[in-house]
Amino acid sequence: MLSRSGTGFGMLGLAGLLQSEQASAADSVNLLAPKPTHFEAKAKRVVHLFMNGGPSQVDTFDYKPELEKRHGQPMPDGNLRTERLTGGLMKSPFKFRPRGESGLLVSELFEKTGEFIDDMAIIRSMHAEVPNHEPSLMLMNCGDGRLPRPSFGAWATYGLGTENQNLPAFIAMCPGGYPIVSTRNWRSAFLPGTCQGTYIDTKNTEVTKLIENIRNGRLTLTEQRRQLDLVRAFNERHAARRNDPQLESRIESFELAFRMQSEATDAFDISGEPKHIQEDYGAGTNGRQLLITRRLIERGVRFIQVWSGAGQPWDNHSGLEQSHRDLAMSWDQPIAAFLRDLKQRGLLETTLVQWSGEFGRTPVAEKPALNGRDHNHYGFTVWLAGGGVKGGQAYGSTDDFGFRAVENPVSVHDLHATMLHLLGMDHKRLTYRYAGRDFRLTDVHGNVVEELVS
Amino acid sequence: MDILRITIWLLVLSVGLLPQRASRADEEPAIGPRETVELFERRVRPVLVERCVKCHGPKKQESGLRLDSREAILRGGDSGPAAVPKKPGESLLVEAVKQTGDFKMPPDKPLEADAIAAIVRWVEDGLPWPNSGATGASGEDAAKAHWAFQPVVRPEPPDVNDKIWPKTGVDQFVLSRLESQQLLPAPKADPVMLIRRATFDLIGLPPTPEEVLAFEEAFQVDADEAWRGLIDRLLESPHYGERQGRYWLDVARYADNKGYVFFEQKEFPWAWTYRDWVVRAFNEDVPYDRFVTLQLAADQANVDPADLAAMGFLTLGPRFSNNTHDILDDRIDVVTRGLLGLTVTCARCHDHKFDPIPQADYYSLYGVFRSSREPTLRPLLTAVPDTDQSREFAVGLQERIDKLESFIATQREDLMLGSRKRAAEYLLAAHKQRNHPTTEDFMLLTDKGAIIPAMLRRWEAYLKTARRQKDPVWTVWFRYSDLPDDEFAERAKEVHANAGRGLLPVGAESSAGTGRSARPAVNPLVAAAFSGEPPKSMDDVAKVYGELLAKVDTDWQTLLKKDAQATRLEEDSAEALRQVLYGAGSPPMVPQELGWGFLDLLPDRPTQGEFKTLLGEVETFSTSGAGVPARAMVLVDSAVSYDPVIFQRGNPNREGTPVPRQFLKLFSPGNRAPFETGSGRIDLARAIVDPKNPLTARVFVNRIWQQHFGTGLVETASDFGLRSSTPSHPKLLDWLASEFIASGWSTKKLHRLIMTTSSYRQSSVASAAATEQAMLVDSANRLLWKFPRRRLGFEAMRDSHLAVSGTLDRTLGGGPQNVLSGYNGRRTIYGFVDRMDLPGLMRTFDFPEPAATSPRRDVTTVPQQALFFLNHSFVAETAGRVLRRPDVTGLTDPSERIERIHRILFGRSPDDDELVLAGQFLNRSDKEPATQTAWKYGYGGVDEETKRVATFAELTHWTGTRWQAGPTLPDAKLGWVFHDRSGGHPASSDDRCFVLRWTAPVSGEFEVSGKLAHRPEPGNGVRGRIVSSEHGVLGEWKVDQSEADTPVAKVTIKAGETIDFVVDWQGHITHDEFEWPVVISQLTENRGKAQWDSNRDFRGATSDPWTDYVHALLMTNEFVFLE
Repeated sequence: MLSRSGTGFGMLGLAGLLQSEQASAADSVNLLAPKPTHFEAKAKRVVHLFMNGGPSQVDTFDYKPELEKRHGQPMPDGNLRTERLTGGLMKSPFKFRPRGESGLLVSELFEKTGEFIDDMAIIRSMHAEVPNHEPSLMLMNCGDGRLPRPSFGAWATYGLGTENQNLPAFIAMCPGGYPIVSTRNWRSAFLPGTCQGTYIDTKNTEVTKLIENIRNGRLTLTEQRRQLDLVRAFNERHAARRNDPQLESRIESFELAFRMQSEATDAFDISGEPKHIQEDYGAGTNGRQLLITRRLIERGVRFIQVWSGAGQPWDNHSGLEQSHRDLAMSWDQPIAAFLRDLKQRGLLETTLVQWSGEFGRTPVAEKPALNGRDHNHYGFTVWLAGGGVKGGQAYGSTDDFGFRAVENPVSVHDLHATMLHLLGMDHKRLTYRYAGRDFRLTDVHGNVVEELVS
Repeated sequence: MDILRITIWLLVLSVGLLPQRASRADEEPAIGPRETVELFERRVRPVLVERCVKCHGPKKQESGLRLDSREAILRGGDSGPAAVPKKPGESLLVEAVKQTGDFKMPPDKPLEADAIAAIVRWVEDGLPWPNSGATGASGEDAAKAHWAFQPVVRPEPPDVNDKIWPKTGVDQFVLSRLESQQLLPAPKADPVMLIRRATFDLIGLPPTPEEVLAFEEAFQVDADEAWRGLIDRLLESPHYGERQGRYWLDVARYADNKGYVFFEQKEFPWAWTYRDWVVRAFNEDVPYDRFVTLQLAADQANVDPADLAAMGFLTLGPRFSNNTHDILDDRIDVVTRGLLGLTVTCARCHDHKFDPIPQADYYSLYGVFRSSREPTLRPLLTAVPDTDQSREFAVGLQERIDKLESFIATQREDLMLGSRKRAAEYLLAAHKQRNHPTTEDFMLLTDKGAIIPAMLRRWEAYLKTARRQKDPVWTVWFRYSDLPDDEFAERAKEVHANAGRGLLPVGAESSAGTGRSARPAVNPLVAAAFSGEPPKSMDDVAKVYGELLAKVDTDWQTLLKKDAQATRLEEDSAEALRQVLYGAGSPPMVPQELGWGFLDLLPDRPTQGEFKTLLGEVETFSTSGAGVPARAMVLVDSAVSYDPVIFQRGNPNREGTPVPRQFLKLFSPGNRAPFETGSGRIDLARAIVDPKNPLTARVFVNRIWQQHFGTGLVETASDFGLRSSTPSHPKLLDWLASEFIASGWSTKKLHRLIMTTSSYRQSSVASAAATEQAMLVDSANRLLWKFPRRRLGFEAMRDSHLAVSGTLDRTLGGGPQNVLSGYNGRRTIYGFVDRMDLPGLMRTFDFPEPAATSPRRDVTTVPQQALFFLNHSFVAETAGRVLRRPDVTGLTDPSERIERIHRILFGRSPDDDELVLAGQFLNRSDKEPATQTAWKYGYGGVDEETKRVATFAELTHWTGTRWQAGPTLPDAKLGWVFHDRSGGHPASSDDRCFVLRWTAPVSGEFEVSGKLAHRPEPGNGVRGRIVSSEHGVLGEWKVDQSEADTPVAKVTIKAGETIDFVVDWQGHITHDEFEWPVVISQLTENRGKAQWDSNRDFRGATSDPWTDYVHALLMTNEFVFLE
């Protein structure tokens, strides 16, 4: 049996051939050790800003003058095959203006984020598979709408390992509870359980509520160290004549855990950040989430998902103008502050930032209120920034109404393939043997969109 | 992946060199006469290579079709075989290159006329293809040669040099391989190691100190006898079934809830009845063949009602938001991987890439499970005694069922009526969909009264079949619907003119000579209906059809009034039209049962809402409430069986060739008979447990071996296909399998067979020299040169805590428990298994995600596990309970206590070094910082007259992170009040406010800083006050989703004075959780600033050296590893 830690990733094909259905014990011990990539990586980590519920592309990054001209008129093709019944076209209630050197149009909803347009690649021709939340969330996160498959973060953890053994490699933050379909969004499925995202309810500010068992209520650290020394003494005597890496690694894991108690506390404690930084991120939950995110990035966390909130906040079937305004307001300044902060610290170059929902929204208004938009998987917008992304461009386009991706359509699998590429991974070679075959995040699909890579 | 492909390819090629199979008599000769071979080589093969193979070859298989071998062409693609030997008229390939039918190929430019002629000729010659069979047959040959597909033949145990070591046949197989590598087995394990190993292996618990002592004694007398006696005792323990059952529940992907669902309760009400059945079945040693049969078809196996619970195996899988196909896929998966070690679900979209499992086989099994359904009301497990209460319950239940059933009947009537009355609308809608990809399988909502997407899909599918079958009713429809919209009016005239002459299609001459009937038949009534003016659009065509169908329907209704027994309309052409509305499988004929896909037919929200309510009433009434009788999670056969067809590319909207419900081809090549009994589940069960089935016994004995040795003889425990790992001891596997079958499929005998060996009784520690040598040739210990060390899994880890604490609750069975919070003494197998949200603790300890059948537990080592041991209150609580055991509390002498504790935890005495380590630890000298003792955590009330805290009492229960009134929150008496490191919660009474008390240890001048924060959303916030026993209220702040700084400027305080931080509920109790970290600083000039920080100083129950010592022992490797 090949030990995974000793094998270059280029050998994974062969290793995969020899590897058993489940990683052997010795492999699992080293599961989270950092691993070489297939080729040189531009991005070292991913931050996924998940606008769950589905933000409207025609109100944010995909301006469509045709909607103003034809406001109230039906779509030429008749009723759309989306989830609910819809009426006529609906113009965006928000103003757009050109931003940055690239002059791309950005809506007033993301006024401050728009400052960074030259770092962002706006993919306007995204498409998914169905107009329902659950499968679309699964598709965006796990590359399959229905079957239990590992999430992107789990794959990234499995493929790349983590540089910080004192913190989880994959963290999912969502204030106030789970998004719909809950932990399936960051599941490890058939990958080992340690690849699963660690959920953190960022409504809390106290670290003991953020990470399970991170503090001992009974013992001080000094007392605990003394106790751990006793455990260590027993364990070393026990291991002495046994020569078994399983025993060694469990001894080591206690030392890691002991250090993690301080390190994790520190990572989530933003009170020591300078006042101007705290003010720039803003006082709200999203500012706090993103400031924590930056601290986690600095500590080598591999994949961080930051959600808009429990349930599906962006799902504005009615009252879209006010709801989108409130939501964007809660994100715009924090995102701008986050990007600025990363740039200043030289971290944006190696951090791939993804902004997306699970799909977009229709250009037509939804019945009966006619002041909101239905789900739209035929065309929507995702943007990427940093981490080797070629910024200042809009890639692909939707039709005149912003409904269907027509030019250079990008599937979710293409997006995943491209993101893995930026992480130095060939999406066809990042595989795991399970149930008799080699699985991958992109299944049998996906093409790297070279134009998005700088 | 690429290397892998190449390897497989090489394998295929090399096997391809083996002699070919002899052609069967009924097959066309693969190689024709010389001139036809020449025709193929010179004029057909080049065309295929240049114009076809790019899209239909090894790299790409558009529409699932390859045109690079004769077999591939005969097998065909999504639309069936590409060619029929000697019948060009029935060959799609010919139709496609002639561009006369649905497919027009190649898409870019038609072939030259002579190339087409050559292909027609070649098909007429019977598709001769020199060297054909090279790829297709070789794959089958490789499969035929695969070890796991060979019959199990009992091998003779091999001769070995060492005649003393082997005790059973198992040992001869093991030793033979060791000797071949010049390796020696490890020494015998000592009795303590043995009894721990056996006890954990068979009942999942540690042996008691008394059991260890008794065994040691007996072992001295007669080791073999003691060992056999021990195994017998453990196998008779009722806890054996709990241990063995939990292993099986991994295979059965057991969970207590459904995963994400929309319309029903999220929990399975009676999942635990399956869990308990499994435990009981193992305890009773139900023969494995019967064990399997009951799980697949207890409803048909003539059983005691209690055994119906066995079918949870099929029904307790995830529900995929009620997607029929995925639910059935899960059932196929658990049956084939779980019982047969075959990955049949790989063949859902295409033939299995490696194993001999054609896609057709997947749909044969799909048909079995699609023909089985879950009844709304499940059968009782035991007869209910006839009491007033039970009669009342039965009546109440029946009322609710009647309501639900009448709702369903009404909805079905409406559906059928709507589909008939609005046939024209559906036809037109289906026509408009024709050039779009087939409708995706997703939920669409409609308004009440709109046409229904799922009904539209039925019409689309119906028309597709009608086209394929050249149904005379629809000839005219297709003739018109094939016209492009923009040329419709013009070209319709042509069609109309031709119609008079018998509807010869445009360009029909070209199909002459192909052997097909040149003149499609037309239903005379349809022909007559279209004899008037030519239609101007498809709307007109749909309207004519709609009227025609309406008239036939009226005639039929009139006839029924006259003759209620009528079965058909008299006139054939009218009857053919009636069949469109009333025939079996016609779009309006929705099956009567509330079965697969029925819900899609009610896509408007109000109807769905009503359905949900009525179903919910039945579910709630039948599952909740005290004394509600338990029911079995069964399947039953549907009244009408579903006849499966292959779904092309796994897409249910692309129906392909029909297949029978039958067993896998792999097991019965040549003489396969379709299943005959109902859905075929019982036939399937019989085929699986047929002793001649080469996989069933092998797969199960390998699972048991894996339990005992950590790794199976075959590492891929649920995949025995061509890509499985090679068995470490192939003959041993077969020997065990044949012994197992010969023993009457007895699991307990199988354990005995394995455990009484010398192989199992080896030490887990080999000598240094032996280890060094063995590591060179077998570092993974696959040859078993020592016993493999294993870490306890989640259940055994937790259960061993309960056992050593002396508080294990040995109750068997019953509804799911919350075993993760508090200190529940029930065994872990009885915990609620949450498929929606598997708790982090279980994931951390490698409990498998119950999304699919699990072949084997991962063993990971992550710091989160260590954090649990270090900090979770459960472990410290265990330590405390160990110390409170009567056999420990009674011992006042420390070394006697240590001795006893070691015996309880490890089954052995401590050595001298360990006694010294313990002594040093227990005599610790360091004291906790004095600052901590200044704080007290309690509750009380403020006297509003005197403005002093009038009552104060400390909270006494420590949870590990909080101080509260008792083990549960809210407490029955004191409600929600608690303290944690950063703040807490008041109770709903002014005399049970949160009170954090600081008692001044010295006199002096002090100041206070802090921040009171209230974050939760609804509610009215809280009020915080700082109250001195001397000075009264020093400050007051109200926060409601806000925060406030809480400073107190310089104040003089005497030693012993108390400063209380009091938070009250403001008369409204919801969402009153708050944070209030405070710092009290002494203002001194000379010395450094003395500070008391409520956050830093926070502490729980005072630590006690003995507790910390036992806690440490519980964390050791010796306690969590099994040797």
